Amino acid sequence: MKILIVDDSRVMRQIVIRTLRQAGLGDHAVVEGGDGREGLGLVQAENPDIVLSDWNMPEMSGIDFLQAVRASGSTVPFGFVTSEGSPEMRSRAEAAGAQFLIAKPFTPEVFADAIGGALGALH
Amino acid sequence: MTTTTDTPVDTVVRVEDVRALLDGVWESFLGAEEPLLTAALPAHLGGWTAAVSVTGTWRAQITIEVVDPLARLVTAHMLGRDEEPAVEDVRDALGELVNMVGGNIKSLHHGTAMLSLPWVGYGEDAPPPLLRETCRLDLTWRGLPLRVLVHVSASAAAADERRHSG
Repeated sequence: MKILIVDDSRVMRQIVIRTLRQAGLGDHAVVEGGDGREGLGLVQAENPDIVLSDWNMPEMSGIDFLQAVRASGSTVPFGFVTSEGSPEMRSRAEAAGAQFLIAKPFTPEVFADAIGGALGALH
Repeated sequence: MTTTTDTPVDTVVRVEDVRALLDGVWESFLGAEEPLLTAALPAHLGGWTAAVSVTGTWRAQITIEVVDPLARLVTAHMLGRDEEPAVEDVRDALGELVNMVGGNIKSLHHGTAMLSLPWVGYGEDAPPPLLRETCRLDLTWRGLPLRVLVHVSASAAAADERRHSG
């Protein structure tokens, strides 16, 4: 399995990778992008099995990134990992086609549940 | 009890709420072994300042000030490495820290608002003059000082005081 992590913070990408490992998902290949625009190119070039994206990023925000992914016809499972977990943000994410939103700070258990649920729903 | 005919956005930021959010962020990314401790700190810490602003129906600025040794310690912990972090990683880690704290504080308030990208600098960052300090946490971690400040729109803060004192 290939996981695409999109976040403008290199430190946060490292934390997400570490948390994936702690959640028992460390055996999968990881591809990293620094903003939504780069992420969009990587969805097309790398064909990931799941996308984990920040929301608040320069160049192209996470929600614009998701909308562009869905507009391209891709149905890749997509989840946000973001500092805001308000009901408004969650409903915007869902309406745009996200499978889940993980609010920072998070735990490995939350990662395992959200990612496992999104991937399990495909099978 | 005070009642109003409209439904204004509550701009009050409670110190205990900010402390609980900060403790959650700290425990998640820096470990629970050594908690943040309340401390008496000098007016000016010097060192790093990281800030995010909230604009919309609620207007605020969330600022974290840390001395340089703590900024480096926090960065090394967030990266999970022992070696001395690069300055760009310190900038990145502090930006992510204030983004998480600011995003969680914003989520406590109803209404439509946007969170800015983080600003991180070395030195003092005075808030815009139309904002008023509404929350201050003076703390230490491993004996090193940090400060969390929340400034809100001065007019909204005055309106909140009137509503909550009724």
